[in-house]
Amino acid sequence: MAEERVATRTQFPVSTESQKPRQKKAPEFPILEKQNWLIHLHYIRKDYEACKAVIKEQLQETQGLCEYAIYVQALIFRLEGNIQESLELFQTCAVLSPQSADNLKQVARSLFLLGKHKAAIEVYNEAAKLNQKDWEISHNLGVCYIYLKQFNKAQDQLHNALNLNRHDLTYIMLGKIHLLEGDLDKAIEVYKKAVEFSPENTELLTTLGLLYLQLGIYQKAFEHLGNALTYDPTNYKAILAAGSMMQTHGDFDVALTKYRVVACAVSENPPLWNNIGMCFFGKKKYVAAISCLKRANYLAPFDWKILYNLGLVHLTMQQYASAFHFLSAAINFQPKMGELYMLLAVALTNLEDIENAKRAYAEAVHLDKCNPLVNLNYAVLLYNQGEKKNALAQYQEMEKKVSLLKDNSSLEFDSEMVEMAQKLGAALQVGEALVWTKPVKDPKSKHQTTSTSKPASFQQPLGSNQALGQAMSSAAAYRTLPSGAGGTSQFTKPPSLPLEPEPAVESSPTETSEQIREK
Amino acid sequence: MAAASSSDSDACGAESNEANSKWLDAHYDPMANIHTFSACLALADLHGDGEYKLVVGDLGPGGQQPCLKVLKGPLVMNESPLPALPAAAATFLMEQHEPRTPALALASGPCVYVYKNLRPYFKFSLPQLPPNPLEQDLWNQAKEDRIDPLTLKEMLESIRETAEEPLSIQSLRFLQLELSEMEAFVNQHKSNSIKRQTVITTMTTLKKNLADEDAVSCLVLGTENKELLVLDPEAFTILAKMSLPSVPVFLEVSGQFDVEFRLAAACRNGNIYILRRDSKHPKYCIELSAQPVGLIRVHKVLVVGSTQDSLHGFTHKGKKLWTVQMPAAILTMNLLEQHSRGLQAVMAGLANGEVRIYRDKALLNVIHTPDAVTSLCFGRYGREDNTLIMTTRGGGLIIKILKRTAVFVEGGSEVGPPPAQAMKLNVPRKTRLYVDQTLREREAGTAMHRAFQTDLYLLRLRAARAYLQALESSLSPLSATAREPLKLHAVVQGLGPTFKLTLHLQNTSTTRPVLGLLVCFLYNEALYSLPRPFFKVPLLVPGLNYPLETFVESLSNKGISDIIKVLVLREGQSAPLLSAHVNMPGSEGLAAA
Repeated sequence: MAEERVATRTQFPVSTESQKPRQKKAPEFPILEKQNWLIHLHYIRKDYEACKAVIKEQLQETQGLCEYAIYVQALIFRLEGNIQESLELFQTCAVLSPQSADNLKQVARSLFLLGKHKAAIEVYNEAAKLNQKDWEISHNLGVCYIYLKQFNKAQDQLHNALNLNRHDLTYIMLGKIHLLEGDLDKAIEVYKKAVEFSPENTELLTTLGLLYLQLGIYQKAFEHLGNALTYDPTNYKAILAAGSMMQTHGDFDVALTKYRVVACAVSENPPLWNNIGMCFFGKKKYVAAISCLKRANYLAPFDWKILYNLGLVHLTMQQYASAFHFLSAAINFQPKMGELYMLLAVALTNLEDIENAKRAYAEAVHLDKCNPLVNLNYAVLLYNQGEKKNALAQYQEMEKKVSLLKDNSSLEFDSEMVEMAQKLGAALQVGEALVWTKPVKDPKSKHQTTSTSKPASFQQPLGSNQALGQAMSSAAAYRTLPSGAGGTSQFTKPPSLPLEPEPAVESSPTETSEQIREK
Repeated sequence: MAAASSSDSDACGAESNEANSKWLDAHYDPMANIHTFSACLALADLHGDGEYKLVVGDLGPGGQQPCLKVLKGPLVMNESPLPALPAAAATFLMEQHEPRTPALALASGPCVYVYKNLRPYFKFSLPQLPPNPLEQDLWNQAKEDRIDPLTLKEMLESIRETAEEPLSIQSLRFLQLELSEMEAFVNQHKSNSIKRQTVITTMTTLKKNLADEDAVSCLVLGTENKELLVLDPEAFTILAKMSLPSVPVFLEVSGQFDVEFRLAAACRNGNIYILRRDSKHPKYCIELSAQPVGLIRVHKVLVVGSTQDSLHGFTHKGKKLWTVQMPAAILTMNLLEQHSRGLQAVMAGLANGEVRIYRDKALLNVIHTPDAVTSLCFGRYGREDNTLIMTTRGGGLIIKILKRTAVFVEGGSEVGPPPAQAMKLNVPRKTRLYVDQTLREREAGTAMHRAFQTDLYLLRLRAARAYLQALESSLSPLSATAREPLKLHAVVQGLGPTFKLTLHLQNTSTTRPVLGLLVCFLYNEALYSLPRPFFKVPLLVPGLNYPLETFVESLSNKGISDIIKVLVLREGQSAPLLSAHVNMPGSEGLAAA
């Protein structure tokens, strides 16, 4: 029947006599590859139904001998998720033409998708014997080795692939290995090369930007994130990262407009709502900040950073009871962070639970290594409780941290904190002048350092609620992130904490944000 | 800047729907019944009367009735059935003589059918491929009956496994046969000479020696056996033959055959190979990581559409220039060439029913069509210079004419921030209740906190007490003692008045069996009766689940149900190890009676 139809169509001189068994002229066979081109055209247009119809027809006509039809059928099966079936068909193809590396590659690919990495490696090695100069084989071998955790072999294969032909995907995989090994510098090297090779790949640009951000090289981070946004203004990863940097500079309005794009694209992203919340916080719109943070908390109830921020905002709103709950929840998820205990202590102080506040401060001081604010707040509490001796000890501890910080970086201290410290110093009658600030760069934030001679009338007790509350809010603006907090997880998701330390480099924030605004 | 977000397409749509759209709707027939690819569309002045016709190599609905259609204006002027599905159509000038009417070439299967004045003129068939000499030899032996079918099969099998080129179909068929059928097959076919025929996969034209618009052109064919052939326009002899590493799907040619030309071939392995006049093999190779769905040359840039929904620009040496992301899958691509303004652009038909026009990476125009466009072609049609012809997935035909005043401007709506940036954030407003509660907390925060702490301590205390009590009286279905780690689980089956109560008892220790356990049921004897309210448990092997069954008869006729307590005891101890309370269901058998 099939024969007949073909006969009429291809004008081969076959008559009905051909059905007779004994006859001079045997029937001609249809050409096996007759409709391969049509199958391929349907396949690349993703018109799988039409494709399957043609495949079926062709397989019927050729009694299952048409290799390409089987091959495409297997590809479609794989796309539809029937990996096992596709594997069997690819194996049939490999039997039909054992010399084809392509069939073996597909068999290996299906094995890979089934999670049989070792078997896949074997088949890829077979394929590599048939075709040695194929980047795809080397690349996929590399990926298999990554899954088998044999990073050295994986690196070799990926470098091989890059030597044969450079592809973005290979760079990404190579970078991933370095990240898995925790080698940020090497990963950056790889991504740098990748960006050189394809400067418009937003994924590469964003990843590189985030890596720089993780290392604290803010200028470069911003540059790459900005580039990514030039090519794709809706790339939400880049927007989030760039936005968090703008927040650091206090550009809350610009950051907010950028976040709108993300809110449209991925409206249920917890770090996004966290950052938006903190933007509102920066703009002193506390109610909006709380609703955004609560949304973030609803979306990611186990993220301690969101809880931290919620605690902070509630402290600012003088809702100490709520703040206590958020902070204690945050401590349950992240018990190793001094600042959290400090905030908790502030909340407890305001809830008039001095005993527990002291314990929380003690824990905070124990855990924290570099934040002078912890000691300052503790000293204020102790002073207010009349424990001048202990207060003095904390005050000296704070001075140590301050001088350490000044030696190591060009961070500027919050004026609020400095003022508070000076008041406390006067009250404790620590006479010596504290050289708080380095030569200040920004004239706006310049403040007086010559205030050791406090007005003598200064006698009322320190550390009213307000003073502490303000110290807190500025604490957030100042706080340095413990480097281990994000860890490797920070690579995959944009930093969820908007509040990064001030960049060491003297960048002019207005200029850089201008660059983004133009897009 | 080409933003690829789907939301901005609405803005573009609004633009092209306005009265100042660049296109005039000339014709739309959703039932035109044309199913084809861009490669099978051609526009030409077939009769030399200045009236350009549209030639369609139509595959027919479902690819069943291939035919050649020639359209004049909106009407089908000529329709003739084809012997096989057309792979490509092209028009070209065969010779210099006047009148200079172009010939029509239609590639189908292994042949190119050439029409002049719409009459069959010549049929070119691809030459047969040389058979494998070993295979030929075997069949010759079979012909002279010097070899039996079984040996023939073995020999062919070994050839197939080692030889580079595939066997003929005859041999492949033979290899599939059962032992009993072989003899007959050999007898029937042994007199045939073995053949290997290939088919044409793609076709395009290449100017022979002049760059003029109306110069004589050669046909360039891509074949299934990974070759490119250039045919002489008059004699139809093969002028040049080039080989590729894979099967060509799309071809793009520039230059003249006798002078210098460049040939780009997008192949099935996802690579694009670039050849030059004097190269028998590819000179450059572009490796895409996806399959190409279209290949167009715009000036010196090769524009490739890939299955990853993106357009890529490459130089003639294979260097990547740019990438543009599309909002949907690309179905087809073609060149838009507006001679009057010297514009060359790429048109891409997308699966979401858009046709996008790009000059390099700049979006010039978006046309919205009622159905996804599967083939496109732009050029002179009838007497109108700039006509766009589109056919849709459902077989419709759309003809649009570019307004003579229309100028394509880059960007347009695409400049500036994405529109999402202007949308307001969805932040809930503060409510009266919220404000009140906030104020209350500020005023009475300390009291609230203290009350909460007190309640929390009380709750913890109660929980601890309850837990202790449960431990002391072994009320839990899990025994806590180290000597007898046991688990109990009870199931009641049946409708009543007789129920089946199954206790699943499990020894959860890893090694030690448990011996000497007793089970005792405590129940209200007025309501239930059990045949054995007290029995011994067999030895419990670690890990196994022991179902212990017993029947329970409900005695009450008032439908009252009660609790049966199950106690697991150790011999000689009065305190139970475990206990379970079984809530008995009401007897439904009673209600029915």
